[in-house]
Amino acid sequence: MKYALITGGSRGIGRAIAVKIAKELQYPILVNYQSNDIAANETKKIIEDEGGSCTLLKFNVADINDTHQVLDTWMEENPDATIEVIVNNAGITRDGLFMWMKPEDWHDVLNISLNGFYNVTNHLVQKMLTNRYGRIINLVSVSGVKGTAGQVNYSAAKGALVAATKALAQEIAKRKITVNAVAPGFIKTDMTAEMDEKELKRMIPVNRFGEAEEVADLVSFLASKKSSYITGEVININGGIYS
Amino acid sequence: MDTNLIVEKVNEFLIEEFEVDGEDISPEADLKETLDLDSLDYVDLVVAIEATFGVKLVGEDFVGVDNFQKFYDLIEKKVNS
Repeated sequence: MKYALITGGSRGIGRAIAVKIAKELQYPILVNYQSNDIAANETKKIIEDEGGSCTLLKFNVADINDTHQVLDTWMEENPDATIEVIVNNAGITRDGLFMWMKPEDWHDVLNISLNGFYNVTNHLVQKMLTNRYGRIINLVSVSGVKGTAGQVNYSAAKGALVAATKALAQEIAKRKITVNAVAPGFIKTDMTAEMDEKELKRMIPVNRFGEAEEVADLVSFLASKKSSYITGEVININGGIYS
Repeated sequence: MDTNLIVEKVNEFLIEEFEVDGEDISPEADLKETLDLDSLDYVDLVVAIEATFGVKLVGEDFVGVDNFQKFYDLIEKKVNS
């Protein structure tokens, strides 16, 4: 059976992607999450209520041993399974001025967004290569493309992920594996809940924050067979705030 | 495992999975050229070796392995270690 794995899939954009891919592409979903059991189970319920299938995999993508152990256990229990779609969505923010930034705020953000991509994707890509088909979608951010003041750590992590996306895409395209990045701007999630939408939307040409489901629509397309000729791209979804 | 058995098993999966003509395989023949390998194809070799012999090779194991004899030697060393 062929599966889609969404890291950081218990809430926000990750949840919307998990639900959308289950519904539109009919993949059984593997939802990775780090700690929020309640939110993860809600995601599972939403998918199952809509007729899909969802397995929760609890691990910290920043921890390579934890990541490998959970994925290996699942693969041993499901020897015929193939993870055909990987959505690297897990990420955190630790905003603040760079001059005051603590080492842990720098490293935590890079460990989850950037090393998490390595820990998960590197472990699964060999099997994807032998299967000669796959979709890898990395959730980056407008911050990783243009840079955002107060988010030097997050911008660095996402910017590095943009470069990794382009490089890996060239490396494995021959095996019908595409690698793309999706760069959302202001999207209504927990991550942006404390932002002043009224104030900020003035600088967004579309004049509103985006919905997680809109990002999920784009990711679902990239995860589908319809996107076969798109690889190494960074697709902005930001209401026109940056292009 | 006996050297001859290793050679036999290796040639068997190469002929089957890499669609190479058995007559083109000789100890001194160029591995990459004969099998028409690009860098990504090594992943298929690794998988075939693991399935056949139960040993896992990594990319750096192939450094300097440019002909079939060196390839047999590499597998023999791994299998018997």
